[in-house]
Amino acid sequence: MSADRIMERLPPRPGEWLDRDREIAFAFEGRCHNGFAGDTIASALAADGVSLLSRSFKYRRPRGALTMAGQDANTLVQLPGEPNTLADMRGIEPGMAAFGQNYDGSLEADRGRWVEWLGRFMPVGFYYKAFYKPFGAWRRWEPFIRRKAGLGVIDTEALHAYHDKAYGFCDVAVIGGGPAGLAAAAQAAEAGAEVLLIEEGARLGGSLTYARFDPEGARASREAEALIGAVEGADRIEVMTEAVCNGWFADHFLPVIRGNRLYKIRAKQVVVATGSMEQPIVFRGNDTPGVMMGSAAQRLIRRHAVRPGRRAVVATANGDGYGVALDLIDSEVAVLAVLDLREDPPACPRSDALRARGVPVLAGHTPWEAWAGPDHRLAGLQVAGITGQGTARPGERILCDLLCVSVGYTPAAHIACHAGAMLRYDPALGMLALAECPDGIHPAGSAAGAFDLDAAIAQGRLAGWNAARTAGFEGAAEPPAPGDLGAEQVSHPWPIFPHPKGKDFVDFDEDLQVKDIRNAVAEGYEDIELLKRFSTAGMGPSQGRHTAANLARLAAEAAGRDLAEMGATTVRPPYTAESFGILAGRGFEPERRSAMHHRHIEADAQMMLAGLWQRPAFYGSERDREECIEAEAMAVRTGVGLIDVSTLGGLEIRGPDAAEFLNRMYTFAYAKQAVGRARYVLMCGPSGAVIDDGVACRFHDNHFYVTATTGGVEGVYRQMLWFNAQWRLDVDVTNVTAAYAGVNIAGPSSRAVLAPLCPDLDLSAEAFPYMGVRVGTVAGIPARLLRVGFVGELGYEIHVPASYGEALWDALMDAGEAAGILPFGVEAQRLLRLEKGHIIIGQDTDGETTPQEADMVWALARKKPFYVGERALRIQAARPLKRKLIGFAMASPRDAAPAESHLVIRDGTITGRVTSAAFSPILGKVIGLAYVAPAQAEPGTRFTIRSHGGRMALAEVVSLPHYDPDNARQEG
Amino acid sequence: MARLNPTDLPRRSPLYRTLVEAGASFAPVGDGAIAEAFGKEDSAAARTLGLADLSPLPRAGWKGRGALAWLAEGGVTGLDTDNRAVPQANGLLALRLAPTEAVLLVSFDGDTAALDGIAAGWSIDTAGLCFPVPRMESSFRFAVTGEQGAAMFAKLCAVDLRPRAFPDLAIAQTSVARMNAVVCRRDRGGVLGYEILGEWASAEYLWACLLDAMQEFGGRPVGRAALAALETSG
Repeated sequence: MSADRIMERLPPRPGEWLDRDREIAFAFEGRCHNGFAGDTIASALAADGVSLLSRSFKYRRPRGALTMAGQDANTLVQLPGEPNTLADMRGIEPGMAAFGQNYDGSLEADRGRWVEWLGRFMPVGFYYKAFYKPFGAWRRWEPFIRRKAGLGVIDTEALHAYHDKAYGFCDVAVIGGGPAGLAAAAQAAEAGAEVLLIEEGARLGGSLTYARFDPEGARASREAEALIGAVEGADRIEVMTEAVCNGWFADHFLPVIRGNRLYKIRAKQVVVATGSMEQPIVFRGNDTPGVMMGSAAQRLIRRHAVRPGRRAVVATANGDGYGVALDLIDSEVAVLAVLDLREDPPACPRSDALRARGVPVLAGHTPWEAWAGPDHRLAGLQVAGITGQGTARPGERILCDLLCVSVGYTPAAHIACHAGAMLRYDPALGMLALAECPDGIHPAGSAAGAFDLDAAIAQGRLAGWNAARTAGFEGAAEPPAPGDLGAEQVSHPWPIFPHPKGKDFVDFDEDLQVKDIRNAVAEGYEDIELLKRFSTAGMGPSQGRHTAANLARLAAEAAGRDLAEMGATTVRPPYTAESFGILAGRGFEPERRSAMHHRHIEADAQMMLAGLWQRPAFYGSERDREECIEAEAMAVRTGVGLIDVSTLGGLEIRGPDAAEFLNRMYTFAYAKQAVGRARYVLMCGPSGAVIDDGVACRFHDNHFYVTATTGGVEGVYRQMLWFNAQWRLDVDVTNVTAAYAGVNIAGPSSRAVLAPLCPDLDLSAEAFPYMGVRVGTVAGIPARLLRVGFVGELGYEIHVPASYGEALWDALMDAGEAAGILPFGVEAQRLLRLEKGHIIIGQDTDGETTPQEADMVWALARKKPFYVGERALRIQAARPLKRKLIGFAMASPRDAAPAESHLVIRDGTITGRVTSAAFSPILGKVIGLAYVAPAQAEPGTRFTIRSHGGRMALAEVVSLPHYDPDNARQEG
Repeated sequence: MARLNPTDLPRRSPLYRTLVEAGASFAPVGDGAIAEAFGKEDSAAARTLGLADLSPLPRAGWKGRGALAWLAEGGVTGLDTDNRAVPQANGLLALRLAPTEAVLLVSFDGDTAALDGIAAGWSIDTAGLCFPVPRMESSFRFAVTGEQGAAMFAKLCAVDLRPRAFPDLAIAQTSVARMNAVVCRRDRGGVLGYEILGEWASAEYLWACLLDAMQEFGGRPVGRAALAALETSG
């Protein structure tokens, strides 16, 4: 800590937010500072005499605290891994290291501050007119602008913190824990409603924790004790402090951010008691550190026991400014003068008390120009006598280090505006005011124009009562309506005094001066929304909180329009900045695992995702991928392999109309399918495109067990339910995919391995032929067995209740050990089925593939009166084909196999594409499936594939299947 | 007596590895094993916030236009309202999910006599439009117990499961941690409780999500014994 800095910490005072037993050391700009628990970064720095916090966006002007309420962007500082932190809201933490933003070199001696001298070359909207001419100029300007623009620095290495979300429900949500909100919450709870009270600050109380409503300064704490006591003593009120309601959405859906959690609150009714925002005076140098709102000074004094300066001037247009002055005097700040912008300020108790203390009051006067000392802090003011709207005659100079401004308010009614309320300029009040509040939104307090404390409390009670009654709680008596709201003479109608030398800021965030607004209107941007977008007024981090009212005034004056017609620009969520972490939350990514999942992991499987399912792609290390896949495939071809097929879809179709239902859903015929047999199923959509396939196993006249693809079963199930909702057949469809664990044991030795485990079944070819289905036990586990041939070898698909899956796997692996059984994964299965020419839906078919194109006309029943897609297929059968799916072989070496989607080229034209291709170890060549033009589809035809690196490779159409064309191996 | 290992038996909960790692001791239920207890903190956790895997306890479902009538003939009574659970005199808990679907859950003692009796009466030839649903295999069964249960669920489920909004024995067919689930409120011994049925294949995923959500409330796994003790204390 520098010995030159003046300590501004006041002695302990009642109601302060500090815990003086917990001193906290932190750093700002590399220098150590100390504060107490309960201090914010800004208050702790102010206590240490530091007023320079950051620099402005465009001109790099020094900036300090303006509101001490998180309503301005002057206090945005950088924390490690977290830019744009509001220093006047964030509490200090041990070891915290904060820095200012928008400077090069040091905050105090920013090397980039020369940009302010270029201001004349940066008129309003200049970026719409510059940087893109001559042609190619933007490429040179963009890197420079990217380096200079933006606020704060993103740490791309920052660790992701834990964020989550939670739902919440209440009858009445009260947003704002000040006097009106406290009264509303207590009243709604008394009526029987369940209330959620949401307060942005660290404690309840709102203005009761800083404002001076009476000359003695005692009323606020008295009211706070009573109102907070009523809330804390109520059963049905849940209080959330340090929680920001960040928007309003349909049906009273309220996102509330607290720490790293986003609460999604659903309320029946909403009370908006969010207070109002003190507004600045526009004059030259009004952004100098040391110029702050009167309420900011009071927050520093009462909440954080910080003397905000030593020699102060107060500029006011209402009684609150006199309360500020009294607070300053009580904190041993010399109040050199009060400038009352009103020509003839009415007497009030606070102004009388101030005059009694001998403080000079200059009626009809305003700050005219402020200047800073070498430490960038306010060093003096020139005051001026007001001569008319926006005009003044400069007068005396006052040396001071603090200017407190209390000249008016704008409602902080964002939430109500999100719900559809409007902010309109009320000429009678000289300020923006809430209008057209929709049903379900109950504004109260200064947000609703009640500035008198009694009126705010009464209005809060009435709003709470109304909200509870509308939510269905009608027991309580209606509280009395508020009296005079005290909204008149609270806001000065024209706190704007343009200076010939400029630097009279209307928008602090965007460094916009009075001339910028006038020039924008002169360019034709009279409409407030267009003016905003052209000038960027209101588009900075504070989103126009201190801009809207003066923007409307200046725009109306420049355009010659009635100020009463002007309003504020549309207010949209979010109320404050939301990090991506808050929006993302914890992130839930459901996953499905088969019963054998951990056995695959234990066997070093490389897992892959099939939809939400985890499946083993192959077993072994990634670098040995091709060798592992080939070894697995060869094990199936020459011995025995075992694959987990639990993910395949399973549907129970049961009821008297089960066969008729299958007849309609699938293309083949099922009415005469025998019990104990399986039959191929092919599903087409109404357009005739292939959707899915599988097998239907008949276990009873009225019971089919139908399989589907892993990725297609959910869609198949939905289709079945949808169609039967119309057909109303006597059939039940149940999706039992997850209820069964399944394996396929395949290979010439599969029967020999399996037979000892099935004492109740005859697995011989005669007793259990190909495409047969049986029910029995395997290793004592109840099982359904299917003889199907996807991989083209003797094999049995075994389906058992899922909880037995791991035991089944263990039993089969043990039984097959002597035969050299190997587990095989999805990749080996893809190779094996390719050798048999079996298609994979979704890989070898696309959204338009018809059975005719895929050479599956054999699966279309000719005599059924109807099946889904039948009519479309009949129409397409009468038309010539445009493409055909064929098998091909290549003489290429193993590592030159084309990839899926490599194109088939003929005479420079695309005539098709590869859908599957791989080197077959058993056949010793590259094989595949591809779409080609019908004229190219005859076996023996040669065609060209544009393969890796654009190299053209020759392929030949071959008859399918590539392997075991008589199917003797799988049907034996 | 030798400690029962879940792999000694052929029927296994998808969570058994996780439960073993968490220190569970197991007891046999049919041809499977259930986590009976984790430690002496179980009974306190069951009152504040605990999570139990009840998947090894038998359960069964029936669906179809004639399902509820068929169950009524088999002695299952009181299934008059959708999304309500009805305790049966024989110890089963019957959950009516729809006019055409119900699930029967066996109580903690694992006695399947009543359930087996009902199931034995079913035949595809005589039960009309009533068909069994393999709930024992298609669904896991978890129990959440303790006064912090609703606050924990608020982090995972958009339905208001607080006691004032979700009465005892109410059912919500909803989404929990982005997966479909059936949540039934089931207080035991005056302690707030819920049962969750969800897809078996996602049991490990949801267990991890629930434990993660419980952390802030000090929740932990508990065994069947702690839940049974709550029930008898009520």
